[in-house]
Amino acid sequence: MSMYPSHFAEPVIQKDSQAASRNELAHIPIKAATNDSSDSIFFGVLQNKLVKYITKKGNRSLANELLTETFEIIKRTQIERYNLSKSDREKIIIDAEKLLINAIENSRPLLQLSAIKRGGVKYQVPIPLTEKKSYFLAMKWLLDAAREKDRKVKLPEKLAWEILDAACGQGRVIKKKDDLHRQCESNRAYAHYRWS
Amino acid sequence: MKMFRKQFVHLSRVSTHLQRNAIAPCIASPAAEMSTNVAPAAADTSSAATNEFRTGVTNPGEHSELHVAKFYTIPVEEKKQIFSGGGLPKQYEQQIKTFTEACLMVRSPALELLQYIKNADLTNPAVRYVLYGDNGVGKTLTMAHVLHYGALNEFLLVHVPWAPNWMKRPKEAANSASQEGFIDLPFDAAAWLVHFKTQNAKLLGKLQLKTSKEYVWSKRESTPAGAPLMELVEHGIARIKYASETTAALLAELKQLASARQCKIMVAIDGFNAFFHPITRIFSDNKQRVTPERITLTQPFLDITNYDWTNGVCVLSVDKIAMTEGYMASYMPRYLLGKDGFEHLDPFVPVHVGNYTDKEFLSYINYYLDRHWISRAQPGFEEQLKFMSNMNPYTLMQLVRGL
Amino acid sequence: MATNLTRLLESSIRSTNAAAVQSSMRLFSNQQQQHQPEDDDEEFRVLNLRTIRQQARRREFKKEAVQPPRTKRMAVDQDWSAVWSGPRSFHPASVPLPLRQGYTERGAAAPSKYANAELMKIPNFLHLTPPAIRQQCEAIKKFCTPWPKGLETEAKWKRTFPLEVVTSDYCHSLPTIRNPEARRVKITLKLSDLQFDAHAKDKFLRLVGERFDRETGLLTFVTDRCPTRKQNYDYALYLLTACYHESFVTEPWEASKSEADMEQYLFERNQAKRSAEAILNWNASREEKVSPPSGYAESVEQLINEGENEYNIAKYKEEVLKLLKIAI
Repeated sequence: MSMYPSHFAEPVIQKDSQAASRNELAHIPIKAATNDSSDSIFFGVLQNKLVKYITKKGNRSLANELLTETFEIIKRTQIERYNLSKSDREKIIIDAEKLLINAIENSRPLLQLSAIKRGGVKYQVPIPLTEKKSYFLAMKWLLDAAREKDRKVKLPEKLAWEILDAACGQGRVIKKKDDLHRQCESNRAYAHYRWS
Repeated sequence: MKMFRKQFVHLSRVSTHLQRNAIAPCIASPAAEMSTNVAPAAADTSSAATNEFRTGVTNPGEHSELHVAKFYTIPVEEKKQIFSGGGLPKQYEQQIKTFTEACLMVRSPALELLQYIKNADLTNPAVRYVLYGDNGVGKTLTMAHVLHYGALNEFLLVHVPWAPNWMKRPKEAANSASQEGFIDLPFDAAAWLVHFKTQNAKLLGKLQLKTSKEYVWSKRESTPAGAPLMELVEHGIARIKYASETTAALLAELKQLASARQCKIMVAIDGFNAFFHPITRIFSDNKQRVTPERITLTQPFLDITNYDWTNGVCVLSVDKIAMTEGYMASYMPRYLLGKDGFEHLDPFVPVHVGNYTDKEFLSYINYYLDRHWISRAQPGFEEQLKFMSNMNPYTLMQLVRGL
Repeated sequence: MATNLTRLLESSIRSTNAAAVQSSMRLFSNQQQQHQPEDDDEEFRVLNLRTIRQQARRREFKKEAVQPPRTKRMAVDQDWSAVWSGPRSFHPASVPLPLRQGYTERGAAAPSKYANAELMKIPNFLHLTPPAIRQQCEAIKKFCTPWPKGLETEAKWKRTFPLEVVTSDYCHSLPTIRNPEARRVKITLKLSDLQFDAHAKDKFLRLVGERFDRETGLLTFVTDRCPTRKQNYDYALYLLTACYHESFVTEPWEASKSEADMEQYLFERNQAKRSAEAILNWNASREEKVSPPSGYAESVEQLINEGENEYNIAKYKEEVLKLLKIAI
């Protein structure tokens, strides 16, 4: 729930794109920029979101450090793979942020099951998800998978593997998404309970 | 050993992971297109800029002002010979592994030092060079550069990768048998002997150095006079109990041999000020902290950094991190060495290692781009990195991790 | 039905009772009315137990008429110092100024000077007007002697009279005129005004200890151990003199001063010199001994005495390179 009325525009954080939108936004009230956004090279919207999800007990600097370490590990593995492979080097992505985005996009669910009571019986009804919720679920699943680990393995390491797996379209998170979709598919007969 | 095992475990983990993913054609296709955007750019910068930030001269003796801010590659065997027992920072070692090449940047402090060493008259007493500078500024890597020079120019290397390890986290501490009230670090001494052996095995074989007197370790064990030096080292490694004494004997022998012009010696001790720290973390029998001079390893290394021998060079570094809390106010040599340390070393040549210059900084950025370590090269990112790291090498390394 | 009946019955009984009471009441009142006219005819003598004293009539104080403030009668050219000759608290009628002082609500004028505690609380300097001061100066002028020649500026008289004596007098309204603090004497002196040799200076500084301020170079003695000021002053001067002369005495035990007791690092006395000499005379025969260059000695002393900084260490490096003959 935003504190701003709906006609307020989102702030433009990137300095370069500010000039482009100056004319459009000249007479529109703009929301204040959040204090965690910046125009630095270290900032990414999705990355920022993920840091917030990693954070426990408000220890954000630790979360940031963990994500940075995750990126480092991803980069190291990818560069190693790059150096090992003789052919199709072009296909290997080294940019950790891109891999993260791919992983999240790959593990985003489209539908969700929710219990609806009709005639005294609860039905698992597939309902579509909003974009925001689907991003949230994707990141949550990634993190849940990463946190389900041996005590000796560190979070960045496991998270890096999960991200790499998900970016390839494999792994537990993708499987979880597929399972959910499959269930939704099998419960399609109940779909009309959403509105009747 | 433990460390090696750890690394090995890590390696195996990575390799299993690689196998797992090898089945799927790497990444989703739109992303693959994106990745090609960076690759050609990097490729043509590397082709055009090979001369810009790399140099083919791999012999540190031939480096000159021309090669400042350029990278040279240490050949794999030489790296293995010199640095397998330590000598490069852990994170740099990791970077070398990732980049599959051991590159060092030619920087002016190292060049200055090499210049001094080349011009020095070895018949004069050993000159002590002291590297000093703030945290993460490249003292150890400067030393590594000089060590490489020494290894190529037939210096026997007496290299202590990080002296504070002995005072701060020794593997084992035992009461010395030969000196009353002193403490032996048998495992650390043996580890150092192994390090010495790997660094100098080739040269020792060539020089055929002999011991000058007989060393009696116990009733049954002794090393006769005229035995090859290698035998002494082997003895220390095999009989860990006598490793500290062997180290002392070895260093004394080396000093004599060098003064007799049978060999040249390069002493390189990182974190030298640890020898003059007021206390260590080792406890004696009466549960009190021991001062560094009560460790049997200290005296030989102090002797070999003294001025009373010839045919040698001492490259020492003083580091804030070698001290403990309360003694870390400044990085200046006099402060870190303290009164005793200063008197021990004086007159020494202080060599300041500073942050990157603009040229070095850009060269490093180019190198990172070339190795694909920076994959998000947005316009103006150099400026931001420069501002945030203050051109401090270590800070830059840390910042670039997540890019 | 039965219940209704009983209720009816009850109500009828209650109404008959009420009527009976009413009739009796009326009777009683009638009787009273009959008695009243008898009382009026004959005046009832009242027994007055308390005799009413003749009340003394309160004397009325005659309030004198408030005089108009004195300021109204003041001449424009009056002698103000006669009106307000000494320090005293504010009096509105004596000060011919339209003063206002005090806090009010926003927009209102500040309270006037009459009955204004704010003006009375603060100390005033109405007795120290320039004419009053001039007048008093004129009066005491005849006691003054001319300022000595040659001591016109502070620099000049400081040279002749380096010693500064500070005492305090206290004045308060008590039966006693003594204040224990008045005996305290403080003398200050610049150390540069005293003449020393190196040994004496070192010893003097050790003797005076924290009485010397390194930053300002001022020496301060404070004495308060004697009961009177005169004695304390004498004692302070005695202390200064004694310390000064004592510092020139060399005791036999001073020869055993070790390096740690030194106040300054001196190259000559230290390991640095021995090392440098040993390096310079490496392999040299006994006759041709070279002593380390003075530039090197200076740089070492500077490095240690002044503390480390980039400049000092660069100089040290330069000198060491020269000393060890390392070509740059």
